[in-house]
Amino acid sequence: MSPPVAVIAPLLVVLFTAILTAVAHRSLRVQRALSVLGGVAYLGAVAYLFARVKAEGTLVYQLADWRAPYGVTIVADDLSVFMLAFGSFVGVAALAFAVVYVDEVGQRVSFHPLYHFMLVGVTGSFLTGDIFNLFVWFEVMLMSSYVLVVFYSGAEHTRAALQYVVLNLVGSALMLVAIGGLYATVGTLNMADMARRLADPAAFGITTLAPVLGLSVVLFVVFALKAGIVPFHWWVPAAYRAAPAPVSAALAGVVKKVGIYAIIRLYFTVFAPADLGELALPGFSGSGPLAYFGPVLLVMAIASILLGGVAAVNRDDIDDLLAYSSVGQVGFIVLPLALAAFGIVAGVDAPAPYGDVAGVSGLAVLGVTAALVYSLNHGLAKSALFLASGAIYDATGTSRLDRLGGLAERAPVLSGGFFVAAIGLVGIPPLIGFFGKFLVFDAAAVAGSELALGGALAGAILTITYVTRAWNRGFWGTPTEVVDATRTNRTQVAVVVVLAIAVVGVGVAFDPVLEAAIEGAAAALDTQGYVDAVNPDTTTSATSGGGHA
Amino acid sequence: MTKRRYGDDTTVIARTATRIVSPIIFVTAIALLLQGHNLPGGGFIAGVLTAAGFALIYIIFGIDYVQETLLHRDVEPAFGLPRPALAADYRAMFALGLLVAAGAGVVAMFFADTGFAFLGQHDWLYDVKPLFKFHFASAFAFDLGVYLVVVGGLLAIVSVVGAE
Repeated sequence: MSPPVAVIAPLLVVLFTAILTAVAHRSLRVQRALSVLGGVAYLGAVAYLFARVKAEGTLVYQLADWRAPYGVTIVADDLSVFMLAFGSFVGVAALAFAVVYVDEVGQRVSFHPLYHFMLVGVTGSFLTGDIFNLFVWFEVMLMSSYVLVVFYSGAEHTRAALQYVVLNLVGSALMLVAIGGLYATVGTLNMADMARRLADPAAFGITTLAPVLGLSVVLFVVFALKAGIVPFHWWVPAAYRAAPAPVSAALAGVVKKVGIYAIIRLYFTVFAPADLGELALPGFSGSGPLAYFGPVLLVMAIASILLGGVAAVNRDDIDDLLAYSSVGQVGFIVLPLALAAFGIVAGVDAPAPYGDVAGVSGLAVLGVTAALVYSLNHGLAKSALFLASGAIYDATGTSRLDRLGGLAERAPVLSGGFFVAAIGLVGIPPLIGFFGKFLVFDAAAVAGSELALGGALAGAILTITYVTRAWNRGFWGTPTEVVDATRTNRTQVAVVVVLAIAVVGVGVAFDPVLEAAIEGAAAALDTQGYVDAVNPDTTTSATSGGGHA
Repeated sequence: MTKRRYGDDTTVIARTATRIVSPIIFVTAIALLLQGHNLPGGGFIAGVLTAAGFALIYIIFGIDYVQETLLHRDVEPAFGLPRPALAADYRAMFALGLLVAAGAGVVAMFFADTGFAFLGQHDWLYDVKPLFKFHFASAFAFDLGVYLVVVGGLLAIVSVVGAE
């Protein structure tokens, strides 16, 4: 049986785009053309994979035809393709923006290969079914992003990038240690095989699962660092401010979501079935890893929402404001995950359509669905806002709110795009942001958690406050000196408008999106389905790959 | 054109030793590259060794020696910085290496017996009787790509940083 090439197609397309743009480094025009064409082809490959997965269910690809769990498995299930679909869209939109935003010398130096390698890392992280391979894709993604953060090479950029690099190197080292520890404990690196062994350790001769809790905590810290959840958020503002606008858009819109995806995939699919025994700590009950991570996630989420929101309120720079807003919004993504963990531990059910998924708690489905929809919302809206901020900077030479004013008069289309994305962040119906927030509140209500409800409410109010403040100071009023001389770039504005239309369009046509998100959530929670699809067969003498005769 | 002298600021011992050692380094590197798919060695270690050999020549004789005497290239500025022309070549080598390595993975997809898997491998054994057996593995193409990436990448860094 030939493995489905569709699974690996997005990865190959973006990998070859990265390489070809590196080969073509002598001609900027060729490089640009390859970069944009590659981006479009990448979108096509992702769309094809999405359609195939929706039609045929989970698709599995064995690299070099080495059978799972020995070879590296690439798995495209409903969760992966959901993340990949909006990640690739945002990534390519930011790329289109970059072509007209980053100066020519910058583009010639190495922007296009680096950007595409970052997308390679993102794509690989979403698709891999092997925990060590996940580390490799993280590294591919991070190494490119290191250079992209320091791209302008000024003093403040170098400072921000140094912090970012050191932090992530420490994070990578921790991740490697944790993965090594997991391998030593469980005896496998394949996620499906690991899930199977964690669920029934005795059958595989695993004497103790005790180290798994500590190791999963270390891994969790790494993922929280990538996602920028409080208390691991402090690298976010400096890095986003230092990076070129399209890179900030991709970092906030896509790269952060890889951290979220890793949390969902590992903690809800792989680690969830493990029985780690009761932990004798106040406030923790139950015996699965989610029983421990649920409360921790809840506290971190609410801290993120409040800290990000409060810090964003008094920022004087749009980029700064958006960066802190990202911290707060990630809290909104993590909050329903905490509730989902609670749902699994306590077996809370939820009304249809979330309660219809057989074998898992309805609240868990609702929570993960909310996290996915909110990720989509944040990916679209925040990248639109970062790109709008970049376009404003390009047109006026500043992104400081005290020097801007009256932009709505001089750059109405760009301001419109900013406005739509901003109210998408706030959550006004019928935009996608409304449904994201609605699902978060719904999950909190079903869980009956006043704490979560109160945190989300406070966060929503803070969001309205900082968005209104940015709008009032930057876009309304009489045009200031710098705004008067504004000349916006049409292509830049067009990209912002496309993303703003997506924020509206996804909200208006929400039913298929919700359906895809529920399927994604069901896939994330269906450990047995994941194991069956990958089918890590260790019973036969499978020490060599099938085709490696 | 008068013949320019290179490496006047280094000792006779260093220059002589380099002359003797560098061919050995390069031959060892190539041997490691060729056996890498089957025995200890491979593209990465061969690339590092080659880059180390070049670095030795750079230190003892200077980059201009390699650039002007061996490759007949001038020092030309790039991006307003006085970078050796070789740096651009190394960059091209790096990119080419990536292409070869990734291409080796894709080509494998067209061999039916690898099940159309990316990075699948195939090997051929030619038995040229009675002289020798020639063993060719498709993994060599990947190794070669890695070799080019490592040599290109390391030497680009050495030459750019060395020029500054």
